[in-house]
Amino acid sequence: MNSMPSDSASMSFVDRVVVPGDHVLDLTGMANQTIKLGAGLRQDGDAISVMKAGKLRISKPNKYWVESSHKRYVPCVEDTVLGIVVDSKFDNFLVDIKAPMLGLLPVLAFEGGTRRNIPKFEIGTLLYVRVVKANNTMNPELSCMDETGKAAEFGPLKDGYMFETSTGLARMLLSSPPCPILEALGKSLSYEIAIGLNGRVWVNAASPSTVILVSNAIMNSEFLSAAQQKIMVEKLMKRLQ
Amino acid sequence: MAPMEVDRADGRTSNQLRPLSCTRNVLHRAHGSARWSQGDTIVLAAVFGPKAGTKKEENPEKASIEVIWKPKTGLIGKVEKEYEMILKRTLQSVCLLTIHPNTTTSVIVQVVGDDDRPELSLIQLEVQMIIKNNSSIIRAFLALRITHVMGLRTPQLLPCAINASCAALADAGIPLKYLAVAICCGLTGSRSVILDPTKIEEKVFSYSCMLYLLVDYFNCLDRGYAACAKISEFLRRSMESQAPSDLTKTT
Repeated sequence: MNSMPSDSASMSFVDRVVVPGDHVLDLTGMANQTIKLGAGLRQDGDAISVMKAGKLRISKPNKYWVESSHKRYVPCVEDTVLGIVVDSKFDNFLVDIKAPMLGLLPVLAFEGGTRRNIPKFEIGTLLYVRVVKANNTMNPELSCMDETGKAAEFGPLKDGYMFETSTGLARMLLSSPPCPILEALGKSLSYEIAIGLNGRVWVNAASPSTVILVSNAIMNSEFLSAAQQKIMVEKLMKRLQ
Repeated sequence: MAPMEVDRADGRTSNQLRPLSCTRNVLHRAHGSARWSQGDTIVLAAVFGPKAGTKKEENPEKASIEVIWKPKTGLIGKVEKEYEMILKRTLQSVCLLTIHPNTTTSVIVQVVGDDDRPELSLIQLEVQMIIKNNSSIIRAFLALRITHVMGLRTPQLLPCAINASCAALADAGIPLKYLAVAICCGLTGSRSVILDPTKIEEKVFSYSCMLYLLVDYFNCLDRGYAACAKISEFLRRSMESQAPSDLTKTT
């Protein structure tokens, strides 16, 4: 009655789109091996099954994850995100990072932060922060310092314009080597950009028209290939002149 | 006793479904959305969440799902509340509720197209919600209801809504155990099974025929499973399209 295709290796699913419920790996033959599961996968008895729809990726030898792009963010440790201050308590700022729970930014998590020089953030301030603790059951904890305790570009972002995109586009913009769209725009325009892995992007430039141009170009580049992105930027530059 | 082949009003065979169409990511502000249509029955589902906080009577150790059903016309009444309850139970068994405890996911279902035909006298129909794991056919049975409807209710709205909500949940990235697909089966007076009935086909021939033979019931189930395999194939193909609001159609 069960007509499950026998997965001799999970290679049949790798780099292909999987939907929730697909059993991508059968663990019965892998007694002494360690497998690391990333986003979107869970262990379901003797098999690894998919929780989110997306592309299955593997990083040899034993890391599996599902790459998907959504409008909400699932917090992971060491991610850099853009948060908006929602409230301030005695020892925490409550920061919205597009996650299921609000993030907590300790009031002392700044370089040289003491009880005497607590920064005053108004509600609505945009912050570039790093996720320190991420657990599904607790509010994620954030920090405006890097591991060594330096400020390192974290903190409030002034001026500029923030827009929201999907997490997939944010990952593409942050990929190395640098994303073609950012390089192409940088050749002719000068702008400042901060990308949060939670799908928020902040752009600042000398003139508002540059800010608008860069933001629109980035928003339109989500589903274009590298060559198409370059062509789009060339067309935009031609129209400017 | 072999059931007869039935001549249906729109020319389909008894096993043939209406044309399916699924579009995901249609709404800009919703975290996940899908528009599912089977012939003239069109349902739009939007998902918001997970958002922090649960209601008082919900278990804070699990995520809770809230369903709001919006009919095409008219005020919200008991019928809508019943649909909400059934849909909520279905989605609760499909979602992994322990991943994000103490959060609420809202699913809003808007009926866009309702197969507008003249009213009928009596409908006697069995609506089956069938959950299938997409890669292996694990036959998990969720809910079985025998509906006696007078007049306005459209039984194939609920399967359409289940399909749309599942596609919307997958679009939003809510962790799911598997995708659910649903189909509506009708039992005609002559004891033959028709799949995916439209409103006009639901005429009962004798009101007294309220008892089902077990054989008929299992016959219905088998036909339903076979049709669900087709629908789940379609759903999987529609997941594979990457572009925003990409349209996948099939007949």
